[in-house]
Amino acid sequence: MGVDIKALLLREKTNLESFSSKIIAIDAYNAIYQFLAIIRGPEGLHLTDNRGRVTSHLTGLLHRNVNFLSIGIKPVYVFDGKPPSLKTAEIQRRKLGKKEATIKYEKAKASGDFESARKYAQQTTSMQDTMVEDSKHLLDLFGIPYIQAKADGEATAAHMNKTGKAYAVASQDYDSILFGAKKLVRNFTNSGRRKLPNRNTYVDIEPEIISYQKSLDALGITGEQIIDIGILIGTDFNPDGFDRIGPKTALKMIKEYGKLEDIPKIQEQLEQIDYEQIRKIFLQTDMPDIGKIEFKDTDYSGIVDYLANERSFSQERVQASLNRLKRSLEKRSHTLDQWFN
Amino acid sequence: MIKLEFSAKTNTSNEWKAIISAISTLVEEATFEATVEGVSFRGMDPSHVALIDISWPNSAFEKYSCDSDIKFGVRIDEFSKIIKRAEKSESVEINISEDSMLRVSIGKNKKYKMRLIESSVSDTPLPKITYDSKIALSSTGLDKILGDIEVVSDYLSIKTTSKNVEFSGKGDSGEAIINLEKDTEELEEISVTQESTGTYSLEYLNPIVKAMGGAAGSIICEFSSAKPLRIEFKVTNIGRIHFYLAPRVES
Repeated sequence: MGVDIKALLLREKTNLESFSSKIIAIDAYNAIYQFLAIIRGPEGLHLTDNRGRVTSHLTGLLHRNVNFLSIGIKPVYVFDGKPPSLKTAEIQRRKLGKKEATIKYEKAKASGDFESARKYAQQTTSMQDTMVEDSKHLLDLFGIPYIQAKADGEATAAHMNKTGKAYAVASQDYDSILFGAKKLVRNFTNSGRRKLPNRNTYVDIEPEIISYQKSLDALGITGEQIIDIGILIGTDFNPDGFDRIGPKTALKMIKEYGKLEDIPKIQEQLEQIDYEQIRKIFLQTDMPDIGKIEFKDTDYSGIVDYLANERSFSQERVQASLNRLKRSLEKRSHTLDQWFN
Repeated sequence: MIKLEFSAKTNTSNEWKAIISAISTLVEEATFEATVEGVSFRGMDPSHVALIDISWPNSAFEKYSCDSDIKFGVRIDEFSKIIKRAEKSESVEINISEDSMLRVSIGKNKKYKMRLIESSVSDTPLPKITYDSKIALSSTGLDKILGDIEVVSDYLSIKTTSKNVEFSGKGDSGEAIINLEKDTEELEEISVTQESTGTYSLEYLNPIVKAMGGAAGSIICEFSSAKPLRIEFKVTNIGRIHFYLAPRVES
């Protein structure tokens, strides 16, 4: 999933507070997917309401957004639209992986191996339309804007970042960098303490920021070249990449030859993929401009009503979270920005 | 010979010390701009709640020359450490030449070279506000008032009428009110076109007033109801130090 260029990028540790008053374009599917994977009961099953509907994503969205708004961060969630047809192979592959994980999960559960069962259960995570609708409904109640992308959410988020509508893109995947996002924040929606799988230890997950320009400068390559490197390693549009080419080899080849067409060794394989189309997708030659981003007041009683009455959340706990938000908002100062015009 | 692009000398180190301590309350990295007219700085804290606007005209310097407009970025803590090595009465001369290093000469024989950082490009605008109330008092006077309020509250409310100004704060433990009347020693000036009430966070006010306390003689506070506060610190030999602070969100 996503391009594996982690090893090539400059990552700097940061903290959520440094994003105060800034608009952050969050890759919504990526964030919700994380919530679904991580937020689970003791046996690895999702949290559900009294009608058996999954609520893990709502738990994640509630607590994260309370946290963001308390700090003064302005989150904007960007949802995927229809994936480009080139992505079909990757989607097919993910489906297959989930099927395999489901079989392994059942086996592990039957043999009483709950640790493995939990691990495989996380790999079966898939998103249903109703979850997207739930999420959008909760965001509406928070007064937090969301954007429906035409295709890839990450692509639109990166575009918002490039055009100055957002300060950074938040995603776990590195594809945003290929899409040209100026700043990518990782661990934005899942920072905090986390239990390591198969071990009884906890780690602190801290947000980290990757600057597009700094990374390119350090590598000594251009934006077009990092896309070519991505294609060599494998992107969502050519998931298999090229035989035996990892990040380091890819970088070396591109630095030596400049671009895909000029690397002698790979020409045979290159013919088999529509690399020009993939480049075009990442270069974003025709992105529609998104409209005005508007933040509204939080509907506190609406949130309590929806989560406690309809989705079986503990009313006290929801109320306590929202009280925390109210208290920190009361302490806040306005920003000077509104007096600049 | 290295050609000098920019050079500025002050007779004492007080000016730089005041400017650096003011800026250090808001940011870690600062970009100064030098032109033929003088040196200026404008920047906001990361949350955009407070802004400092400094204008330091060439006439305020002992010696000043600037061949072409230049922006230079420094890490405030690094710059501060160097300037702190200067005694009060020692002169400070800063130079920038083509090699992107900042040279700081202190007194007769101390010479430092400091690495400049990449200057941020964004231009900070100034808030556009009509101020209904204006009061002037000594910087030590304001520092004491903030201390009095801080005992019970983490914010300061200022309320003006044509005859007086009331500073107050409220918290879980109780409240505090300090009243200053017109034509008294404590209140150097008050002029009110419309009675105003503004509430501002002590988290931002305290550090800047403390930082400027030693250097600034008087302070002019201007504000309007529910609008930003502007504080002018009068420091000898510096044209203008303005501090803007956005009001607190009223619940």
